[in-house]
Amino acid sequence: MTVAGQATAAGTRHRPATTLIEPLTYSARAMGGRLVVHLAAVRSEEARARHDASTVQVRVGRWADRLSRHLTASELSALNAAAGATVPVGPTLAGAMRAGQAAARTTDGLVDITLLDARLAAEAPEPGVATRALDRAWRLVPGPHGTAVVHRAPGVRFDLDGVAKGWLADRALGLLRWWSGAIVDADGDLAVRCPPGRHWAVAVDDPRDPGAMLAVLHLAAEGGTWPSTHGVATSGTSVHRWEWAGEARHHLIDPRTGLPAVTDVVQATVVAASASEAEGLAKAAVIAGSEDGLALLERAGVRGAVLLTDRGETIASPRTLALLDEPGGR
Amino acid sequence: MQARPTPHQAEPGRPSKARPDPTPMRMAVGIGGLATLSGLVTAIFVVPAAAPVTDAATLAPASPVTVTQQRPVVYVQLKPGQTAPPGATVIDAKAPKPITIVTRVAAPAQKTVIVHTTQSGTVVP
Repeated sequence: MTVAGQATAAGTRHRPATTLIEPLTYSARAMGGRLVVHLAAVRSEEARARHDASTVQVRVGRWADRLSRHLTASELSALNAAAGATVPVGPTLAGAMRAGQAAARTTDGLVDITLLDARLAAEAPEPGVATRALDRAWRLVPGPHGTAVVHRAPGVRFDLDGVAKGWLADRALGLLRWWSGAIVDADGDLAVRCPPGRHWAVAVDDPRDPGAMLAVLHLAAEGGTWPSTHGVATSGTSVHRWEWAGEARHHLIDPRTGLPAVTDVVQATVVAASASEAEGLAKAAVIAGSEDGLALLERAGVRGAVLLTDRGETIASPRTLALLDEPGGR
Repeated sequence: MQARPTPHQAEPGRPSKARPDPTPMRMAVGIGGLATLSGLVTAIFVVPAAAPVTDAATLAPASPVTVTQQRPVVYVQLKPGQTAPPGATVIDAKAPKPITIVTRVAAPAQKTVIVHTTQSGTVVP
């Protein structure tokens, strides 16, 4: 359904002309995926750019190792293995868990970092065990120097998953504060800083066709004088997907059922103020489905959203249309 | 010590001055104050009409016309049995929410894009 009035109003909003950033790019592996740093640097700054990108990648890799459920030596694994109802955690894990609390608030509870057991059940050959009856209550009591104490109901175990990636991307961008134009790509979740007068072009990949794009989003500094930050994140059901006995399953658990979400959204991309916020909202939009998901995104005031449905439609929220045109390209 | 006479008291031994009656002046000041207050209240609370601003309207000389307050009704929820105001567009509450669908945005035709957002685990070519 197209609402022409909305499309016109959003699509013709004036955007000052800016030039496209062609960055220096540094790739590494972390968090079980890619960790890429893009810097709006000129060739004469290459040595400093490489040094800063490398520093960030090492530090993010170290933080990610504390937050992974796949590493038995991680702090998250230690928390999940601990028997007690109260467990002290360090500043990195506490910070990521706070991001999980914020995501739960922003998404009306659709993002829930206590669904590890439901996720593992979905990966098992037997039909998933619904965990909605389980009391998953938990809270953080702040301690000194960013530490905290986790208070949880018996048996609650955590899976930070995408929450950690968005949070790490934002934190890594903070380490690159000297670069007015920078992007940290944490396995598809982007923390973006736009310098005045220039813009980034970010492709939303089409999951049905490797190399194809659903859209290109042009992100520029909003005020025109100071750098602006954005977060861009994509979530979906088409990559982490598998079948058991003819039953299709995926990794996005609906906390209302404890099972993989039944949804018509194959993939959701959200532009928000931070990667952490965008990641949570993108995941929530997939879990909620296209109609309720778009309503949630509108309530959250996202800067843009592109959804791909199982009917093959590409749906954009009205504000997105302003991002689809290259600034000054009219 | 003798108390100093107040300004309104005549000093002993002097004939009192004839003063004008203050009542008409007080009434005039009071009426003027009320008129000023009324103007201020009108300026604060009367919202300009939501008419489209055009060059002609901007350039037209100010005329002492009566300002009428317009409150455009944007949304009305009808109860069972009620009818919509004349000229109103009625939408079905159960209809899909007004969203814009952009099918197959033409962006892929453009030049190479270096930065991609993907689902986690996607191998970027």
